[in-house]
Amino acid sequence: MANEKEVLLRVENLCQYFKLDAHTVNKAVDNVSFDIKKGEVFGLVGESGCGKTTTGRSIIKLYDITSGSVYFKGQRICAGTKSYKDAIAAARREKRGCTDKTRLAELDQIIADNRKEIKSAKEDHKNADRKLVNEIQMIFQDPIASLDPRMTVRDIIAEGLVIKGVKDKEYIDNKVYEMLETVGLVREHASRYPHEFSGGQRQRIGVARSLIMEPSLIIADEPISALDVSIRAQIINLLNDLRNRLGITILFIAHDLSVVKYFSDRIGVMYYGKMVELADSEELFRHPLHPYTRSLLSAIPQPDPNYEKNRKRIVYNPIADHDYRNSQPSFREVCTGHFVLCDDAEFERYRKIVEEG
Amino acid sequence: MSTEKKLQVKNLTISFRTVNGKLQAVRDISFDLYKGETLAIVGESGSGKSATSKTILGISAANTIVEGGEILYDGKDLLKISEEDFHHIRGDKIAMVFQDPLSSLNPIMRVGKQLTEAMLLKNKANRRECRKKLADSLKSLNEAMNGAGCQADKGMFDTFRSVIKAQAKYERPYDTAHTNATAALKAAEDVLLAIDKDALTTPREDCRELKNYAAGSVDRFVVRDGERMKNLLTTMMRQAASGERSKDFSALKQTVTELRAMLQAALAEEKPDFFALGCYLVLDQKQIGDENAQTLNRLCAACTHGSFMTRFMDCACAALRFSANRSAQAMTDALPRLEAAEKQFSDQMPDESGARKLAKELSDLVEKAIDPLETVKESAAYTFRVSLISALDTYYKGVSGNAAEQKRFDRQTAKYEAAVARGKTPNGKVAPLALVDLDIAKQSIVHILSNMREQFTARIEAVRGFDYAKRGEAYLLWLRETAMGEIHKVTRSMAKDAAIRTMEQVGISEARKRYRQYPFEFSGGMRQRIVIAISLMANPDILICDEPTTALDVTIQAQILELINNLKRERDLSVIFITHDLGVVANMADRIAVMYAGKIVEYGTAEDVFYHPAHPYTWALLASIPDLNSKDKLEAIPGTPPNMIYPPVGDAFAARNKYALQIDFEEQPPMFQISDTHYAATWLLHPNAPHVEMPDIVKDRIARMSKLGGAENGQ
Repeated sequence: MANEKEVLLRVENLCQYFKLDAHTVNKAVDNVSFDIKKGEVFGLVGESGCGKTTTGRSIIKLYDITSGSVYFKGQRICAGTKSYKDAIAAARREKRGCTDKTRLAELDQIIADNRKEIKSAKEDHKNADRKLVNEIQMIFQDPIASLDPRMTVRDIIAEGLVIKGVKDKEYIDNKVYEMLETVGLVREHASRYPHEFSGGQRQRIGVARSLIMEPSLIIADEPISALDVSIRAQIINLLNDLRNRLGITILFIAHDLSVVKYFSDRIGVMYYGKMVELADSEELFRHPLHPYTRSLLSAIPQPDPNYEKNRKRIVYNPIADHDYRNSQPSFREVCTGHFVLCDDAEFERYRKIVEEG
Repeated sequence: MSTEKKLQVKNLTISFRTVNGKLQAVRDISFDLYKGETLAIVGESGSGKSATSKTILGISAANTIVEGGEILYDGKDLLKISEEDFHHIRGDKIAMVFQDPLSSLNPIMRVGKQLTEAMLLKNKANRRECRKKLADSLKSLNEAMNGAGCQADKGMFDTFRSVIKAQAKYERPYDTAHTNATAALKAAEDVLLAIDKDALTTPREDCRELKNYAAGSVDRFVVRDGERMKNLLTTMMRQAASGERSKDFSALKQTVTELRAMLQAALAEEKPDFFALGCYLVLDQKQIGDENAQTLNRLCAACTHGSFMTRFMDCACAALRFSANRSAQAMTDALPRLEAAEKQFSDQMPDESGARKLAKELSDLVEKAIDPLETVKESAAYTFRVSLISALDTYYKGVSGNAAEQKRFDRQTAKYEAAVARGKTPNGKVAPLALVDLDIAKQSIVHILSNMREQFTARIEAVRGFDYAKRGEAYLLWLRETAMGEIHKVTRSMAKDAAIRTMEQVGISEARKRYRQYPFEFSGGMRQRIVIAISLMANPDILICDEPTTALDVTIQAQILELINNLKRERDLSVIFITHDLGVVANMADRIAVMYAGKIVEYGTAEDVFYHPAHPYTWALLASIPDLNSKDKLEAIPGTPPNMIYPPVGDAFAARNKYALQIDFEEQPPMFQISDTHYAATWLLHPNAPHVEMPDIVKDRIARMSKLGGAENGQ
């Protein structure tokens, strides 16, 4: 559906590694690529610790990414250098034992190219257009922890504008009131403190805070996980409303597949730092191909006792489910818009499943 | 589902003292929890779910006032027992999985210690308790046997004691070894699979795990050839070490396959009948040699019906009959006294000393009617004395204190108003009037008496229909379990093994390594699993889960729910499951209570509540869950729950309810009975109410569900 639309955010080979100690590296996000088109809601699901939050935080530059690039509206805003450094190191190693003249020249060229890449990546990463980056905003998971208890709601919502350098008090006030009304609160709430609000209202303040910067992309990091079911519906309806009215693009990070299905146009499934499946939400639910996606779908609880009594949970065991001894898996397009992490044999099998069903 | 009531909550009312006044958290709720069932309590935050569960566990906050009601467990009223007595119940009998894993773990203790601490301490206390319980019950059994005319000598009891002890002596190690063997088999299969798939990255660690379990499975009845097992394990570890260097696991594979075959053979063997074995050893004074379980079972089969056991069972049945009849007689005697007292209290309250004297006399009568051979203490007779005394206390406190309280209030109000009239802002507020409503206090006294009388009448009726052969067997089983409890000693290493196994059950990988870590080294979901593991370690009777999976993601949530369900089935556990997510409940609950503003608004089996919801609040909850099959706009519940410092006069949900009638704002609806198991408190069920349909989104979903269910049933 969104194929013809302009790509708003492109993530290419994003890697985010954390050093645990001198020898071990935690690959929180490993080689993840996806596009988000203008006006769509892109859902990112996976269990806790699979790197979905890290992906969101890397995009908004809360971390310096290890390798890969993030393009926003065609401009590179984040870039990492590890892949280039690795390439240089490999070339140097090869150079040591090499005697062939032409090959040596080639290797020198590779090193020079990669050096240039590193320079441009560092340049892009450091000097990314602030105005552009401001168009990406984040809604945080915990509405209690993410609001400063000593600031009034007005100060919290206006903080972004103040940092941006806006000094006109009247303008700020009007803007704050407008945002409060957009998210379904009233003007009088502006002078109160966060603790005077219920969970749902607090999350609305979080939404208002991100909206005031007039973003074109909102990264919603589990905005409803910490809320009661009845209030969840309020926030989902609010986000849905905003999206239809203001045309905001949303990267929706959650672990609750039923909410993601309800809300997103496309869904990416992550498992241990890797994207394992990416498809339209309808397509994903119709043809879940990767065994992890299937196990995830089988775990969704439904408000239906009879269904629940017959529900069989599929357990995902990476060792038993894949045979990657001879071929390494890669991210391939099984049918239009439906990508799966698989090797050759699996690719053929998945194709067959999609064609048949 | 069993009909034995594990826990009864009656008319529980809880308030919190706050700066602004009294906040009514729980208003007059009652429910029963049966053995082996899951009761789900569903509601928004602030509806009083957690307040209820914390009161059951006796850990309510300091500003809590329990205004009335009873929580009956094992013959005790948990609201009235001392802190000392509560130590024996909390964690051991009733355990709780807390909502917030951050604050419920000790940050400066390794998780392993936190897991085993309770187990070791409770084991000591439990053994002491079991010893006392066994001695007491054998004593009362002896006494009842004598009363029944069976000549029971002391030697008979000593023999019986040694039989059950001999049985427990063999059964405990068997259980441990059997669980170890099961775990070892699983570990062996994992290793083999990893070798097959060429994915054995840490062979030595994986094999050590297997070795630990396999070594624990050597027992007289499980893995019988200990020598061979030991050799195999040594070989395996050597091969794993050399395989790590050479990346060639073919030799290791062979050893593990052999090990697996050995474990499979051991697990396939018949389970010995340990009671029969005990009889065989003690009564027939035989020795056991090297026979396997099958042969032994054949040899011992006749022993349970030997002359001693037959005589013992006959005597026990006679004793049970005698004791039940004696208690029924005492009840019949007590009935007229109770009735007279009831009349006296409701007509004209006697003066304080007279009332207390009467209460003491009644309590003595009631306690005399308790059957000492009853193993399930669910009668209100056990708590009769304390509840009567506390009801009397409330009443006479009101009689003597109400006037003073009124005076205080008048004086303070006058002062306050005078200050306001002078145009000043008075510092401090007037504490609200706290009068004891004498009528209600009197009613609660009468209620205690009439309740006791009803129970006695029912019991006298029930005693006539008792099947004593069945009861005798149940009693014997109970004695055996108690004896097991007395003998079962947990060592530190056993506790560690159990802890690691539980950690694995709740889905923590590399449990052996993680056992030695501190809570801060775990992620949020992992910490929650540790909390669940801790509560399961104590092997409780009742497990209270306060939003245990809210912080977890779906796969882990499904895993934890499955685990709780399995444990419930294995151990006949009763579970109170508190949550706001109806989706989770459908999988777990046998019965559901929907709470709103401190009251239960709907109460029924899972099928009742999901397929025939009757209360508008339940409709609203169902309508706000996103559905996999539709993209209809969700119906959020408008507004927020009411401020319970000023509880609404009528139905608390009326203000947020689009189906509210005029009467909803004026009067609280009573519980209407819809079917045998299904109740709801809404005026919409009143015969004069207009007919109201539930919202379309819920109706559609139920229609879809029933279609789906029908298709499945048809297959």
